[in-house]
Amino acid sequence: MDFPQFDILAVSSALLLVTTFGVVVRQGFLDWLSAYRYQAIALSAVTAIIAYVTGIWEIYIAAALTLAIKAIIIPKVLTFVTQKIKLEVKIEENPYVSLRLSVLISAVLVALSYFLVLEIPIKSDPVVAAYLPLSISLFLIGLFIMVIRRMALNQVVGLLIIENGLFLFATALTHGTSLIIEIGIFVDILVGVIISAILLVRISHTFDTLDIGKLESLKDS
Amino acid sequence: MALEPVFGIADWVIGIFQTLAIIVLAPLMTGVMRKVKASSQKRVGSSIFQPYYDLLKLMRKDEVISDQSSWIFRFTPWVVFAATATAALFIPAFVSFTPFSIAGDLLLVVGLFGLARFFTMLAGLDVASAFGGLGSSREMMMSALIEPALFITIFAISLTYGGTNVSTIVSSAVDATIASSAGIITPTLIFASISFFIVLMAETGRIPFDNPATHLELTMVHEAMVLEYSGRSLALLEWAQSIKMAILLTLLVNIFAPWGIVSAGQPQQLGSAILIAPLILAGKMLIVAILIAHIETRIAKWRLFRIPDLLAMAMSSSMIGVIFFYL
Repeated sequence: MDFPQFDILAVSSALLLVTTFGVVVRQGFLDWLSAYRYQAIALSAVTAIIAYVTGIWEIYIAAALTLAIKAIIIPKVLTFVTQKIKLEVKIEENPYVSLRLSVLISAVLVALSYFLVLEIPIKSDPVVAAYLPLSISLFLIGLFIMVIRRMALNQVVGLLIIENGLFLFATALTHGTSLIIEIGIFVDILVGVIISAILLVRISHTFDTLDIGKLESLKDS
Repeated sequence: MALEPVFGIADWVIGIFQTLAIIVLAPLMTGVMRKVKASSQKRVGSSIFQPYYDLLKLMRKDEVISDQSSWIFRFTPWVVFAATATAALFIPAFVSFTPFSIAGDLLLVVGLFGLARFFTMLAGLDVASAFGGLGSSREMMMSALIEPALFITIFAISLTYGGTNVSTIVSSAVDATIASSAGIITPTLIFASISFFIVLMAETGRIPFDNPATHLELTMVHEAMVLEYSGRSLALLEWAQSIKMAILLTLLVNIFAPWGIVSAGQPQQLGSAILIAPLILAGKMLIVAILIAHIETRIAKWRLFRIPDLLAMAMSSSMIGVIFFYL
């Protein structure tokens, strides 16, 4: 019997998936924010592994930027901007799909993306083979989370997971786009998050709720 | 994996010794976990030998049995204890094989636990007290969800190590660590270990699922079923519960962290390693016990209807483990 070999690419992608599931199962705003912080740390570790395997030093900078912006700045900014929103609208109490079902569906999405990539007849290097299906599954999970959440504030996490998936996709497939583009993307996501958070604060002031189901109904006064 | 240990007298002695060690030392482990939990809650806590004192005291006490109860009620503690002690036969503790494993595998261990649980549930219903029925119905709901998660986890483990036999699994795991010391860190096993840990907490009724120390009627699950027991029967049930905890913890550390177990593949080290291996095992189990105690301190018991969420996590985690194996 041949024993399984220690494969840093597979193990790191497994750890990133574990942290992603940590985000999926958290319902409160501050809970998923801390889980997202761990996911960002795992993503930065994965990026550093890509840099180590390919030997391109610029990717190390991208990893450091990931750690700084996604693990520290974005959570801090989000906490600061949304501290005026009432606590009870921050918790996802009644999502469209229940928590246990969403965990199982996320697992199915992971399986789906891995089998999809197996169907693509490309010859590729081990980095792409390990991280391409992972980035697709992050993308699908983010999309799914965005669809099933009822509170608009908690839909931001879907956007953030999708962004992580896209970042991983680009880094794994192209071995690092040019650094200036990376920095541009980071600033873009930061500004996007800030703008969406401010918009949500406005919505919560105007409508007194963040439940997107209730936003559709006309306000009578 | 051609591992065919020749079962001489020494192997049988070691096998019986391992089983006896699990059965005898299980209450001590429960005591250690209580002590760690107490100290992480800034309490002094009772002595680590307290479970033994409890057992001795209960053994000497008179039993009160409801005259409305049937033979099932009297029969259950013995069935539960016998099933759990039999399951301990199949567990390799500090030597990577056990001679009894020719008779059964991991599925049999799960089956024996299932038998014990089935009789506990029957006994809860038998005396027709309100709490017993309530505990039984909760336990049925939980076990119906635990078992699929556990089976997918076992599936993932046995795919990796080539067989459901516990001896084969642990021997392969040890050989893998000898081949390369990081050899057992694979995605499949990472996901399987997460799932197995959640299942362990659920099976032994630790805090997110059930509070083992509670006597608050509305929250108890296992305690509600055994509420009517006293004296020797209660002692047997509590001892069986400790043994179950010890078995699952031993399985956890031996499958997912098999460093330092004596392997049949290296007979020249057998003499010295057999003295150190129990200490290493005790150290590893102590680490896991501290982890569990801290988890129990940090989180509150979950609402009963949120428990399926946690078990769904276990199930999906082991599912992803199986997916990773087939890539």
